[in-house]
Amino acid sequence: MNSLIKTEVLKLRTIRSPWLLLLAAPLLVTAGISGMVLSGNKPLDAAAQSGALAHVGLTSLFTMVFGILAVAGEYRHRTITDTYLTTPSRGRVISAKLLVYAAFAMLSGLVSSLVGLGVAAAWWSDKGVSFAWGDTAMWTTIGGGIVWNAAFAAIGVGVGALVRSLVGAIAVSLAWVALVEGIVGQLIGGLARWLPFNAGQALGAGTGSMTTSHLLPRWDGGLVLALYTLAFAALALTTSMRRDVS
Amino acid sequence: MSAGITVDGLTKRYGPVTAVDRLTFEVEPGVVTGFLGPNGAGKTTTLRMVLGLVTPTGGRALIDGRRYGDLDQPRRVVGAVLEATGFHPGRRGRDHLRIIADAAGLPRPRIEEVLDRVGLTDAADRRVGGYSLGMRQRLGLAGALLGDPRVLVLDEPANGLDPVGMVDLRDLLRGLAAEGRTVLMSSHMLSEVAQTVDKVVIVAAGRLRYAGPLTELTGAHGETLEAAFLRLTSDPGSDSDTGPDSATDATASSAHH
Repeated sequence: MNSLIKTEVLKLRTIRSPWLLLLAAPLLVTAGISGMVLSGNKPLDAAAQSGALAHVGLTSLFTMVFGILAVAGEYRHRTITDTYLTTPSRGRVISAKLLVYAAFAMLSGLVSSLVGLGVAAAWWSDKGVSFAWGDTAMWTTIGGGIVWNAAFAAIGVGVGALVRSLVGAIAVSLAWVALVEGIVGQLIGGLARWLPFNAGQALGAGTGSMTTSHLLPRWDGGLVLALYTLAFAALALTTSMRRDVS
Repeated sequence: MSAGITVDGLTKRYGPVTAVDRLTFEVEPGVVTGFLGPNGAGKTTTLRMVLGLVTPTGGRALIDGRRYGDLDQPRRVVGAVLEATGFHPGRRGRDHLRIIADAAGLPRPRIEEVLDRVGLTDAADRRVGGYSLGMRQRLGLAGALLGDPRVLVLDEPANGLDPVGMVDLRDLLRGLAAEGRTVLMSSHMLSEVAQTVDKVVIVAAGRLRYAGPLTELTGAHGETLEAAFLRLTSDPGSDSDTGPDSATDATASSAHH
């Protein structure tokens, strides 16, 4: 297992596209926080600090696509053949991918958080407001956002293993977040908060400033997200075992 | 039989379509065996079942007496070249081999040996996206040789090779067989096959049409391999080019079945 984990890291280290994807995360955080401050329609209070750092969690969209690359990217370039020829026990391959991609997504969340904190503190100081470094709600938001990053990477690995077509998996997952959870979610009312992206928002979106729909309480959202992550990981493992690679 | 390939009643059905139909043959060490058949004959599906990538509907395929998935260190037993496009275009050739070596627990110095053997040392630090088809074939071959395997399975290894590459490949495969290894290669290029292989297995519409020495096939009727091939495979039941063999570009990988 150890060598499989190292191999997955080596696979990532020897190509560039996944890193460009993860690089987009702190850029989005920077743009989001700057836009929020420049629009200037909210006071820069403690709630605004949490709101600013809630952008960390939103970068889960990038880590989800990053996770999709793990299996669907291998099908796209047909490297999956070599991977399974070297390691016929596919469950171990998928397990290693789940661990490695979730770990890198967590690191990406950490980088986004550091960048977000720096950008927010700079804006606050620019506006002459003191930044409350000890604000617990902000730190909880950051922690929740980082966990959301990791969970969505693992869910992305699962989606990629299920769909296998790279373009298809990305389209399906982004359409799910935008259309199903965003639009259909408003129609089904209270049920929408049990869906994965909204569960992630409950965990990582602070005081709910990012959203109009009703979210679960933070820790309930975390629990629901954890269950989705386990379900997708289990699906990735079971479907990969049986499927023909042709 | 040690280090040979045993295909025993191997069958694969995709819904109503029978791609491989109770195929039985043996591939022996020490010779090069050609695996021939029209497009859609089931060659690629058969090779993928031998390698544990596709699960048979019936029958079994054994390497060295065991199923591929039961081999302890498959890369040290079997080397396979399946398709020219199995590389990430942004990855360097040497890195592709490092990944296989690390995952299979093979020593890194072995990478330089196989790069040298396939003549790819100079291009090893370039990204695969800039490789010609022939260079990709060489890289695939390097990956197959990495574990110094006793059995080699090659699907259309001659595709995209220039005349020099073709001669190199022939010498390489005959050399490997002379070392006592088992070599099974599928190919469309019959004149090339005729110069490379000692034995042939011919399939059409998923069924076995001939398995035996090349000289027996052509010698008995004084035919060329091409004439014998056409005689054995021109059957009303055999279909044209709609099978798994016909997918040649990367985007078609999930289009069939």
